[in-house]
Amino acid sequence: MIQKIKDFLGFDIKAKKYKLSHDDTFGMISDANKPDKWVYSTCGYCGVGCGLYIGVKNGKAVYTKGDPKHDVNMGTLCPKGLSEHQMINSSNRILAPLIKCNGKLQKSSWEKVFTTVSDSFKKIQKEHGNKAVAVIGTGQLLTEEFYTLGKFVQLGLGTNNYDGNTTLCMASAVMGYKQSLGSDGPVASYEDFQHADTIFLIGANIADNHPILTLHINKNKKANKKVIVIDPRASKTSQMADLYIPINPRTDLALYNGLAYIVIEQGWENEGYIKANTNGYKELKKHLQDYPPQEVANITGIDVKTLYELAREFVSQDAVLSAWTMGVNQSFMGTDTVSAIINLHLLTGHIGREGTGPFSITGQCNAMGTRETGFTSSLPGYRNFGDMAALKEYASIVNVPEEIVPTSRGYKYADIIDAIDRGEIKALWITATNPLVSFVNQEKLRKTFAKLDMLVVQDAFLSDTAEVADVVFSAATWGEKEGVYTNSERRCNRTNKAVEPLGDSKSDFDIILEFSKYFEGVNEMLFPSWSKPEDAFTEWKKVSKGQLCDYSGITYELLQEHGGIQWPCNEERPLGTKRLYSADIPFRTPDQKAKFICGDWFPMAEAISGEFPVILNTGRTVEQWHTRTKTKTIAILNDLVPEAWVDVSPKDALKLKVKSGDRMSLSSARGRIDDVIVRVTGSVREGSVFVPFHFNEQLINTLTNDSFCPKSGEPNFKQTAIQLHSKKVPEGLVIQETEISGEIAHKKSAYEGVAFKEKELTISKA
Amino acid sequence: MQTPLESFIDHKADTGMQTPLESFIDHKADTGMQCGSYGIDIPALKEGEQYRFHFDAVACVGCRCCEVACNEQNNNPADIKWRRVGEVEGGEFPAFTQMLNSMACNHCVDPECLIGCPTESYIKIEETGIVIHDDDTCIGCQYCTWNCPYGVPVFHEERNIVTKCHMCHERLDVGQSPACVQACPAGAIEIEAVNIQEWLDEKIDEEGNMPFLPDARITNSTTRYTLPDNLPEDMKEVDEHILNPAHKELPLVFMTVLTQISLGGFLALFLGDTMSLFGFESTNWIMALLVMLPAALGLPLSALHLGRPFLALTAIKNIKRSWLSREAAALGAFIGLMGGVVALYFFEVNTTLRLTIEALTLSVGIYGIYAQAMIYRIRARPSWDRFTTNLKFFGVAYVGIFLLAFISSVLSLSDVVIPLIAMGMLGALAQLFFTYEDTRSLDTIEENQYQLQRTKRLLNENFARVKVGRIMSLVLGGVVLPLLALVFAASGSFGLASLVMLLALVISSLSEISDRFLFYTTVVPLSMAGGFFVGKQR
Repeated sequence: MIQKIKDFLGFDIKAKKYKLSHDDTFGMISDANKPDKWVYSTCGYCGVGCGLYIGVKNGKAVYTKGDPKHDVNMGTLCPKGLSEHQMINSSNRILAPLIKCNGKLQKSSWEKVFTTVSDSFKKIQKEHGNKAVAVIGTGQLLTEEFYTLGKFVQLGLGTNNYDGNTTLCMASAVMGYKQSLGSDGPVASYEDFQHADTIFLIGANIADNHPILTLHINKNKKANKKVIVIDPRASKTSQMADLYIPINPRTDLALYNGLAYIVIEQGWENEGYIKANTNGYKELKKHLQDYPPQEVANITGIDVKTLYELAREFVSQDAVLSAWTMGVNQSFMGTDTVSAIINLHLLTGHIGREGTGPFSITGQCNAMGTRETGFTSSLPGYRNFGDMAALKEYASIVNVPEEIVPTSRGYKYADIIDAIDRGEIKALWITATNPLVSFVNQEKLRKTFAKLDMLVVQDAFLSDTAEVADVVFSAATWGEKEGVYTNSERRCNRTNKAVEPLGDSKSDFDIILEFSKYFEGVNEMLFPSWSKPEDAFTEWKKVSKGQLCDYSGITYELLQEHGGIQWPCNEERPLGTKRLYSADIPFRTPDQKAKFICGDWFPMAEAISGEFPVILNTGRTVEQWHTRTKTKTIAILNDLVPEAWVDVSPKDALKLKVKSGDRMSLSSARGRIDDVIVRVTGSVREGSVFVPFHFNEQLINTLTNDSFCPKSGEPNFKQTAIQLHSKKVPEGLVIQETEISGEIAHKKSAYEGVAFKEKELTISKA
Repeated sequence: MQTPLESFIDHKADTGMQTPLESFIDHKADTGMQCGSYGIDIPALKEGEQYRFHFDAVACVGCRCCEVACNEQNNNPADIKWRRVGEVEGGEFPAFTQMLNSMACNHCVDPECLIGCPTESYIKIEETGIVIHDDDTCIGCQYCTWNCPYGVPVFHEERNIVTKCHMCHERLDVGQSPACVQACPAGAIEIEAVNIQEWLDEKIDEEGNMPFLPDARITNSTTRYTLPDNLPEDMKEVDEHILNPAHKELPLVFMTVLTQISLGGFLALFLGDTMSLFGFESTNWIMALLVMLPAALGLPLSALHLGRPFLALTAIKNIKRSWLSREAAALGAFIGLMGGVVALYFFEVNTTLRLTIEALTLSVGIYGIYAQAMIYRIRARPSWDRFTTNLKFFGVAYVGIFLLAFISSVLSLSDVVIPLIAMGMLGALAQLFFTYEDTRSLDTIEENQYQLQRTKRLLNENFARVKVGRIMSLVLGGVVLPLLALVFAASGSFGLASLVMLLALVISSLSEISDRFLFYTTVVPLSMAGGFFVGKQR
C-alpha cells in the first residue's frame, strides 16, 4: 500500500535499474544487466554465422554483443542476434519431456518417454520394416549433433527415410552444386562481396534475411562497384541496387539460359577456361538455341537491350559474384536454375578467384553442418550414395559393418509425407523444425500427421507441431550447449555453453546419445565411450579427412582463436580456405572437370486462372525467425511485426476497393486464410502479392502448392495461384485478357510444351 | 592498444580451454566505417562546434538493429524506444522507392524540450552540444513530449518521468561508440562534428530535412541527412492508415475548464463589486467563495497528470522561459488572491482596498489563463497552435458568469441576475463563434495541412457524436436555457429561474468539458513517418 502511494506520488524513478556502468570488455553498458562473464559463441539464427559474446549474470543470459574481431560480422549483429539472450528464457520453452495422455500433453520423465518411443519404434519396425520409421531433421542443431543423429538414424535405426527442413530451403543449391561441380559446397567467401566489381543478388532479400551481409557490400568501396538485384518483387534489397531487374515470377532459369546464349553468341565466353576445366560445352551450346534473346525477353519480361546489358555486366568486369537464396532454391526447377547460374560462371571463368563465384547463401545457422555430416543427401563428408568405395571407406573409418551403411538415399521430405499418407511410414521423429507452419499445403499435412501411430517432436520450443505430438523430447537450445556451426562461407564457428539447460531439458546431443541406449547394441557400436560433443567432432574430423569438406585441421581452440575457420582445413591448409575451385582445388567430378548442365525452363506448374488469377509470393521479414517459435515472445521483435500482412499493388487495391489497414481473405485451390491486413505498396507488381510465411495465425502455407523440384525435392513456395477477397469485392479479381494476339500464340505453345515435357519427366521418374 | 587481460571466459573444464578475453573498447573492427567498433575515433570539437548524428538513408537497409541495440544498451523495455525507424515509400512498380529514417534525438541548437521544460530538467551540454535529460528533477509533466516536433522525449510509466536519447554521452565521453552507431551494419548512422554557425547559415535547409519530418528550422535540428536522388513525388508514410486519438489528458481537461470558469466568475464578481458603488446590490463573501471554488478544485487536479505529483510545486522553476511555469505561478497566485478577496469580504475590510486587490487578482487571473493558452501555442502541435485556442480558453469565462448569475438568482438579487445572464449569453454566443472558427480554420490555415486534416478526420470519424453534442449543448446551455431563465427572472419567478440557470450551468459546463476533451484528443502532432504496424511508437 505504502509502495503504491509512493509510486503514485512518483518518489521512485528506478534510477538504479536504468543507470549505466563500466564493463571492462565492452565499455559502458546497462548496470542492471552487467554480466559476471562473457562467453564466446556464434549466433544460432541464420546462416551468416556471426561471432558474439553472451553475457551471463547469475547463471542467466542477459546480453548478446557482436565480436568486433570476428571476420563475419565485425562487431555488428542483426536485431534477432542483439536480443538472442531473451530467446533462451522464452515463455514458449518446453521445460520437461512431455507425453500425450487423454489428448493432452503432460509432464513426464526422460526414462518414460525414451521407453515409450523406443518400444513404439521397435514394434513398428518389427511389423512394417525398419523404414516405417522416418525422421525429419533441421538446420538448427550443432554439427556434432547432426553427425550423431544421422549416424543413429541410418546405422542404428536402420532407416534411410531421413531428411531435413534444409530441403525446404537449401536442397536445390546442394543438388545444383553436385550436378555441376561434383560436390556440394558454397564456393565463395563473404569478403568476396567486398572484392567484387559486380554483385548479382538473385532472389535474395538479404536486407531482411541476412542484414549483416550488407556490411560486406558496404565495405566495398570500389569506384566501379555495381549491385544488380534480380527479383520479381521490389524488396528492401532492391533499394540497395544500382540496377534492379523486375523479372517475371519464376522465369529465372530462362533468364540465365538467355544470358548464356548471349555470352556465347557474342563470343564473350572464356574459351581457355572452358576447355581446361569443363565438360558438356557443346551440348550446352546446342541446348541454348531454345533461348534466343527475344524469346527470353518474352518469358522474363526483361527487354532484349537489358538482357544484353546484363550479359555485358557479367563479362566486362574481372570480379563477378552471384549470390542467391530462396528465390532461386524454392522452385520446382530450383536445381537446374542453380546450375544455370553456375553455367554462366563457368562460361566466363568467374570462379575460384577473389571477388567471384556462384555463391549460395544458406538460410539456417547450421544448414551446412547437416549437409556435410547429416546422412540425408549424402553419406558424411559429401560421399555420394551408391559410391561403394566411399561407403567402404566410411565404414572402415568408423568401424561398422559395411552392410548397415545405406547405399541409396531414402525418401525426401515430401516423399516422407506422402509415404505417411499412404500408410507406409507409421512413426515420425521430428527434430527442431515446425512443419505445421513451414511446409506446403497445411490442411493436407495436418490430416497426414493424424495418420501416424507415433509422432515424436524434439524441440526447445512448444511449436505448432509439438502441440500435436504424441511425445515431446524437451531439448536445450542455443547458449545451453556446445559444439560448432558452419555458415554459408564454409566457416566452422564455435558455439559455447553459457548457461545450464532450462528446466528438465537436455542438449540434442545428450538426447540422441541416451535414446540410443534403448536400442540393443546400438550405443556400443555407434557411440563407444562417447560422452561429450567433442567425441563426435573427433570422429567427424577423421571422417571428413581428404574430403572437400575437410575438417581434419580444425580444433575447438583454433576456431575460437581465429573467429572460425573455413573448410577445407588440413595440414596443407592449416587456417582453412577462402574459396573453392581455385587452380589448386579441382572440381569433385571423377575427371575433375565441371559439367555444363542443360536445364529447361518450364512455365509454372500451377498457372494463374480465372478462378485464381493472382500470384502469391512468400518470404520473410527481418524481425521474425522462421515459424516464430523463437521470436514471438521477444517483445521488441514481435511488436514490430506481430502478424502477417499482404502486399497489394495500388492498381489491384483499387479494383478490390481496399486500402492499407483493411483486412482481406486469400484463397487457393487448397484452402483459404482470412483476416490478413492489407499493405498497399508499389513494391509488388499488378497481379502479384507478397505475404510473409512466419505466422501460424495467418497461415499462408495453407494456400501453397505441393509442387517440388524433382531433383532436390524442394517445394515451389514462391508462386501460388490464388484469389483475393476483400469485403467490398468478395468475388476478387478478374483475370486480365492478353491483348496482343502474338503473345497468346507464344503462351499457348509454351503451355503445350510443358504438358509434353511434364509427361517426359513423369516417365523418367517412374 | 589492448588493455591487459582483465577477464576470462569461464569455459567448461572438459574442453580444457581458457581463452583470455581482451577489452574490445580500443579494438577497431575492420569495417572502414564507424560501425562494429565499440570505440569511436572522432576529432575533438573546435570552437563553435557540437556533435550530431548523420543518417544515410541511401545506405540504410531497414534492419532495425539500431532500435534493438539502443534498448539493449539502456535496458529500456520494448515500448520505450529512444531510436525509432520509420518508412516512407512511393513510385509505381518497378520504379518503387522505399526510404527509411532511423531517428533518435536531433540534439537541436534550440531545443523546444529544453525551452519549455518548467523544471529546467534539460541540459544542452556546453562542450558537446548533446541535449540530455536530468532525471532527478523531472516531474513527469510531459510538456517536452508535446513541444518536441519529432516526438523524441518519451514518458516512461515505470519511472514516472520522461526519458530520451542522450547520444550515449557517457560512452562518447570516454571514446566509446553510441550503441546505434556501433550496431548499424550499413554504416548509416554516424557521429560527426558540426560548426553550428555554418549549419544555421545555410546547410541546415539542404541537409537537415527529410520527407515527413518537420522543418529542421523549428528547433534547428542538427541531424544531417543523406537522401536518395530523384525521390518520387507521391511519397507516403507507411503508417498513414494508423490514425489514433491522442491522450485524453482528463486532469487537464478539468483543470483548464475549471480555472477558466473561475476567471469568468471572478470577472463578474469584480464588475458587480464595481457596480455596487453605483447603487447595485453589493457582492458578498459567498459569491467570492463560490467563484473561487472551481479553480481551487481544478488547479490541484492538474498535479494528477504528473508522473511525480509530490514535486508539483517545482513546476514554477522556469518562469523565465516556460509558459507552463508562468501558468502554474500565475494561477497559483490567482487562487491565493481570490482566497484573500474572500477574507476581505468576510471581515468587511474597506471597499477601496478590496477593489484594488480584486483588480490585481483579475489581472493575475487573466495573465494566468493567457499563459495557460500559450502552453498550447506550440509548433509541434498544429491544431493547438491556432489563435482560436486563446479565444476558446477565454471564451469559457461565460460559464463563470452563469455561475454568479445562478448564485444571484438563488439569492433573489433581481437587478443583478438579468444583466449577468445577458452578459453570459453574449459570452456563449462568442464561444459558439470561436468554435465555428476553430473548425473552419482547420481547412484555411495553409501550414501543416496534413496534420490539420487528420485532426479533422478524428473529429468527424472518431468523435462525430461528441462534436455534435458539443454544439447542441452549447446552444442549449449557453443560449436557450439562459433565455428562458431571463424570462423567469424578469417575471420575478426566481425559484424557476434558479432551476433553469442550474441546468444551463451544468449543460454549458459539460459542453466546455467535451470541447476541451476534443481539443486534447484530436491533436495530431508533427512527427516522423512511422512503421506499418507500430506507427510512430509514441
